[in-house]
Amino acid sequence: MPFKEKFAWLSLAALAVAYVPYFWVAGSGMYDAEPAPNFPLLILLAAVSALRCAILGGGWLILRARAPEDARMPPDERDIAISRRAMTSGYYMLTAGLILVGGIMPFTETAWKIVNTAIFMLVISEAVVHGVTVASYRRQA
Amino acid sequence: MSALTNRIRALRFAHGEMSQGELGQRIGVTRQTIAAIEAGKYSPSLEAAFRIAHVFGVPLDEVFQWDPAADGRAHPGL
Repeated sequence: MPFKEKFAWLSLAALAVAYVPYFWVAGSGMYDAEPAPNFPLLILLAAVSALRCAILGGGWLILRARAPEDARMPPDERDIAISRRAMTSGYYMLTAGLILVGGIMPFTETAWKIVNTAIFMLVISEAVVHGVTVASYRRQA
Repeated sequence: MSALTNRIRALRFAHGEMSQGELGQRIGVTRQTIAAIEAGKYSPSLEAAFRIAHVFGVPLDEVFQWDPAADGRAHPGL
């Protein structure tokens, strides 16, 4: 398995480990009554973001130590094509999220719901990027 | 079926059983990219195709073949 595919798997895992608990807590509504700026959710968001960075950083070091030559290899034309395809898919998801969060929700929803939806759309867009990357490497496309 | 086929595998074996990794190293792509090209899952750039042909010392059309009948986008009159 190429290093870039391994890192895409790691990125997907880091997203799941960090943000599934966050959205579970945010979606449960247990902190909805907190006054602005809602410190419990802010602290939780900072903690899961730090956890994600730690997983990515630690994972990158481990993957690099296990396959140093593969990790050093610059992206070739197929890697670049896969990356371009993944970024394009993520861009469309992000655009849909932007329309939802910036164009529709401000008229109907509360501030933290808008913030959490924006974060959710960012996470989904990233998941799409890494998902398309993994799928492309799996299909050898 | 892909319209683009290739003889890279046969040419590698004809050239001292060259490995995919070695061919990849010589043209500047990864072993996985050579595997994808060989399997017909990835169509290389024109530059990479010429580099592969150059490594084997053969013309491009001895490495890659294009079948217009299998290419749905090819105009019948062309």
